Amino acid sequence: MFQSAERDLVSDAQGGGAAVAKTVPTTARPSLLTLLRGGGIGYRLLALILLFSSAVTLISTVLQLYFDYRRDVSAIESRLDEIERSYLDSLAGSLWNVDAEQLRIQLDGILKLPDMQAVEVRETTVVDHPLLVTAGQRQSSSVLTRTIPLLYRERGESAQIGVLYAEATLTGVYRRLLDTTMVILISQGIKTFLVSLFILYIVFRLVTRHLMDFAEHVGGFDLRSPSPAIVLHRQAPAHADELDQVVGAFNAMSAGLRQAYDELSTVNAELEADIAARRLAECEVMRLNASLEQRVHQRTAELEAANQELGAFTYSVSHDLRAPLRRIEGFGQILVAEYADRFDERGSHYLDRIRAGARDMGDMIDSFLTLSRSTRGELTIEHVDLSAMAQDIVARLHEKEPDRTISIDIQPALGVDGDRRLLRAALDNLFDNAWKYSRGNETTVIAFGAHDEAGHTVYFIRDNGAGFDMKYADRLCTPFTRLHRAEEFEGSGIGLATVQRILARHGGRIWAAAADPGQGATFHFTCWEGKPVNGQS
Amino acid sequence: MGSHKILLVEDNPDDVELTMHAFRTSRMANEIIVARDGEDALAYLFHTEQYAERATTEDDLPALVLLDIKLPGISGLDVLRRLRENDRTRRIPVVILTTSDDQTDIVSGYDLGVNSYIRKPVDFSAFTGVVDQLGLYWLVMNTPSPI
Repeated sequence: MFQSAERDLVSDAQGGGAAVAKTVPTTARPSLLTLLRGGGIGYRLLALILLFSSAVTLISTVLQLYFDYRRDVSAIESRLDEIERSYLDSLAGSLWNVDAEQLRIQLDGILKLPDMQAVEVRETTVVDHPLLVTAGQRQSSSVLTRTIPLLYRERGESAQIGVLYAEATLTGVYRRLLDTTMVILISQGIKTFLVSLFILYIVFRLVTRHLMDFAEHVGGFDLRSPSPAIVLHRQAPAHADELDQVVGAFNAMSAGLRQAYDELSTVNAELEADIAARRLAECEVMRLNASLEQRVHQRTAELEAANQELGAFTYSVSHDLRAPLRRIEGFGQILVAEYADRFDERGSHYLDRIRAGARDMGDMIDSFLTLSRSTRGELTIEHVDLSAMAQDIVARLHEKEPDRTISIDIQPALGVDGDRRLLRAALDNLFDNAWKYSRGNETTVIAFGAHDEAGHTVYFIRDNGAGFDMKYADRLCTPFTRLHRAEEFEGSGIGLATVQRILARHGGRIWAAAADPGQGATFHFTCWEGKPVNGQS
Repeated sequence: MGSHKILLVEDNPDDVELTMHAFRTSRMANEIIVARDGEDALAYLFHTEQYAERATTEDDLPALVLLDIKLPGISGLDVLRRLRENDRTRRIPVVILTTSDDQTDIVSGYDLGVNSYIRKPVDFSAFTGVVDQLGLYWLVMNTPSPI
């Protein structure tokens, strides 16, 4: 900003164009001439001083002229008074004597007095052709006149015999006033001009050039490159003045700015380093993520492969493992039916055992398949009426053994959201167990209900059957684990393991309680108590 | 139609023998044609390969197809699909008779238009009962499509 101002200034001063301006170094020291450019402090100062000084001069001059005028006029007045005092009696005597010659001499004497323009004596006692003696030429303006009666005194009486007309001109007064005015104006003008110049110079020396230095410094101020503190090019005054205060304040401010800038720079650098580090960390995270994703993909693929393998295995078990059993059983049956006469009792027994083994294994394979399927495949969640399901299961069980006396208590309207097929398999297993283990009782008592426990619905199936030894309770749900001898109760040992997995997939669990062996068993289970366990993993 | 033949598609000779035995036990007099794999079954049904001559002499289709799923080469389900795709064979009653109760097999079977899905029980006397009822139902009680 300053630089362009400087350029304008030089252009104005030299009347040149931009070409000249370009060659002027921007650091040129300010000259006194620059003070006089339009709008500058010097220009305004000069104008104001001249204006004020002229006004003062004018007023004082007017006052002085006024007093001079008063003094001159009063001098003339007193002269007229003196004429009255000195000449009146002798003039009246000359008039009484009608001595025109004497009168003329006397009037000429009066006329010689300074500033006197015209004097006239006229006789008033005679109407026709009164005596009239005149000296000097009358003027119409710029005159001071006085008309004095001429009295003749005789033995103590006085009578007017004529009139003295005296006229004093003010032209001399005016000329002196004009001279005085000219002298005052010229001297005051010169003095004012010189004083103005001097003040201008002083202001320039003391203030303006430092201001311009200051402006130049501020204009070139750059936070990025440290600039030295401003030093005033002058002899330091004994006491710090306003400029020192300004410079001190500015230096303090620029030091503060500098410090703030440095701090900001440091913070910025730290931030940049931070950002770089963060970017690096982000890259690392992305890399890790990518690698993690790849591992997840890999694991998923492996899992899928394993699942597929398991599916193929299950499929194969379903088709291929049962087929040989069917053959063993089938041919055994044919042997029994068609060749029974060729076997003795022992041979028939062995044949029975072979067929029974085949059937058991068939059952076991079926249970195994149920277990396997209960942990695979998608869940189809819908609302399932467990009470109705239980009624249906019990009805089917009773159909198979209609002779048993039963007492069934199923709490109505027990429902849960879940996979109907799997929940059916779970309830099937639980009711199968209750039905199976209470076979020895005269009356089979089975209860199915639910109660609230810590905000969760806990379902239970209670029977009055054989129960089990509580010390084996933790083994109940281990696949292929049985707590009873095969002769007592048939079974594969997979049922409860299947139930447990199905419930786990429904976010639930199962636990058992038994009083004493022979006192029945109660199985409790929940759904959606925790996060469902994915059967595929 | 008028034929009373049963086409048994089964690869294992032991199973063939047991099934034949069950048919005998249930005193079914129907002629049983055994196809040992899927291609064999299709060749019989569409009169190709070794059955090419049959077209001129016997034009009849089986009254019932008993189909195993797990077969060497073309699977039972593929045989079923081919049968159902062909205008001549699409109305033949087909019963899947297999050891598996695999869910996808069952669903696929019904999707492809099988008439019945029967899982062979391990217990042979139960199997004999099943075969008995099969014959009674499909060959006596059931009215086949006239064309």
